[in-house]
Amino acid sequence: MNDPRRLGGQDHSGATFAADMDQTTAPLAPRNMPTGARAVPVLTLIYIFLVGVGLLEGGIKVMGADTQEQLFQGVSNPLAGLFVGILGTVLVQSSSASTSVIVGLVASGALGVDAAVPMIMGANIGTTVTNTLVSLGSIRQSEDFKRAFAAATVHDFFNLLAVMLLLPFELLTGALSGAAESISEKLVGSAGSEWKSPIKKWVKEPVGWLQDFYTDVGLEENILGTIMVITGIAIVLLALTFITKNMRRLVADRVERSLNAVLGKGGGSVAMLLGVIITISVQSSSITTSIMVPLAAAGVVSIHNIYPVTLGANVGTTITALLAALAASKPEALTVGIVHTLFNVSAIAILYPIRQVREIPIRLAQGLAHIAVTRQAVAIGYVVVVFIVIPLVGVAIFR
Amino acid sequence: MVMSFFRKGDGGLDTIAAHTVSMLAEARHSFDLSSMALLSGADVTAVADDVRATDERINQAEQDLRGELVVHVSVHGSDDIGEVLGYTLLIKKIERIGDQAKNILDLAEEGVDLSDAADIDELRNLRQTISEMMSEAAELLNEHSQERADAYRASADTLRRELEGRIRECMHSEHPGHEVVPRAILFRYWKRIVANLGSVVTTATEPLQTQGYHDDGSTDIDD
Repeated sequence: MNDPRRLGGQDHSGATFAADMDQTTAPLAPRNMPTGARAVPVLTLIYIFLVGVGLLEGGIKVMGADTQEQLFQGVSNPLAGLFVGILGTVLVQSSSASTSVIVGLVASGALGVDAAVPMIMGANIGTTVTNTLVSLGSIRQSEDFKRAFAAATVHDFFNLLAVMLLLPFELLTGALSGAAESISEKLVGSAGSEWKSPIKKWVKEPVGWLQDFYTDVGLEENILGTIMVITGIAIVLLALTFITKNMRRLVADRVERSLNAVLGKGGGSVAMLLGVIITISVQSSSITTSIMVPLAAAGVVSIHNIYPVTLGANVGTTITALLAALAASKPEALTVGIVHTLFNVSAIAILYPIRQVREIPIRLAQGLAHIAVTRQAVAIGYVVVVFIVIPLVGVAIFR
Repeated sequence: MVMSFFRKGDGGLDTIAAHTVSMLAEARHSFDLSSMALLSGADVTAVADDVRATDERINQAEQDLRGELVVHVSVHGSDDIGEVLGYTLLIKKIERIGDQAKNILDLAEEGVDLSDAADIDELRNLRQTISEMMSEAAELLNEHSQERADAYRASADTLRRELEGRIRECMHSEHPGHEVVPRAILFRYWKRIVANLGSVVTTATEPLQTQGYHDDGSTDIDD
């Protein structure tokens, strides 16, 4: 019997050109797999992701103390750390991946919480590039592009303003890391101690097997450590990619239903909560914010509706670093994950409640979109300068 | 509202299909009311508000469905793009049926009353046939039976040709203009409604690329 919702006699089993194009990055779970069954590959992928974080941590530990110091002395300057966070996230197009790597580095002891915090903030800025790039897809349709570019860059401006306010505040007071440390201490113990994470136990075995394998093929010390780090990062990136793809398919109908229910009725805290839920579900703020761009381009939702969803995505994406910290043996790793959450929640608490302040990122985004729609080079130049040139120059100056 | 994320239920194109069927039901309601006003001599003012309110709901439903289709593509990517484009055509056709039903009401509001026409029984039968076709089109949107769709299109073509014949009769009629012109206009609206219903069913069952065209490449019926 035909699927009642199919139009034009099409069905899901028929291979379409788009489906053929998607084969190279097809999710592990087929689209028609039952929800329960689909959870199995996702849980497996989360486990693999945690193994990747463990491998990264193990690889750094294998390296000598001198090598560790040489590797990370460049980011001891907070601004250098910030710009490295931006560049690293732009490179992998995922703050979930970059923050997980940062958590792994902190877990290894090579990177301190103080140095990690600006990197985490940089990751928050770097992740906004994805939906801005998506908005460039409509650059030829002036009005669509204007709406799409404003909807995308409101995320940029909010996160830039958040860093401008909270990074100096953190450097002066250490309030965010201090609060995170208190929470972390209550949950898993004080800094410097060894946290007996139950998940760490499950992850330890495969990390050991891989380390033994590399040792058996003759790798040792720094080379062994480097290969383990590279393998760990590759596993983290691949696992997150597949988690996102599977989860996106798994919750697509729910996302669609809730977007239709919420966005048509306005924005506010409900939309923000939806942003949190969608992002936690798909493990990617870029997916959430990028879904919004075509909606803005088509005029289905306004920038005012999209803005809170974007802020919710900022909070939702912090779950990945917290998840990564479960595979770590140091409480400091969890502290960094909590800093990421506190940073985004604090930014909302400062910039969102008062209407005049809330409107600032919207006005800036609309202003930039107004210019970019008539001079398209400005849009491209903005992306290149903010996400590549300034961070590169910043790293060169401050490292 | 946000809890809808956690609720079980239809999503995606299932919801869109259900909304489309509701839109067609609204169009039928509007058609029945306006045609009855013309054919039964009922008080036009009694139904006018209902028809206009229904038309506004149909228009709003079209806009909402467009938004839902954009959301669908944004969330699901291009997997269902053929169907999404099909739905954009389909909802436009249903919206036109709503408009044409409102146009029939305009005739009644202009004072046209066919309740005393010599062929009133035939006219009422025609109205009944078209109204039932709307119901059947809604069923076909849910069912997607190629066989039933082919039979539906054949009967729609037959009815459309019959209505064309009646329009032609009016054009050559010896009766005064004030009698013939309203009938010709009514038949024209009915013909376009029938053509649109045929297209609705075609959109539901035929590949997107060939919709609106016959196999020999000629353009389709006037809808």
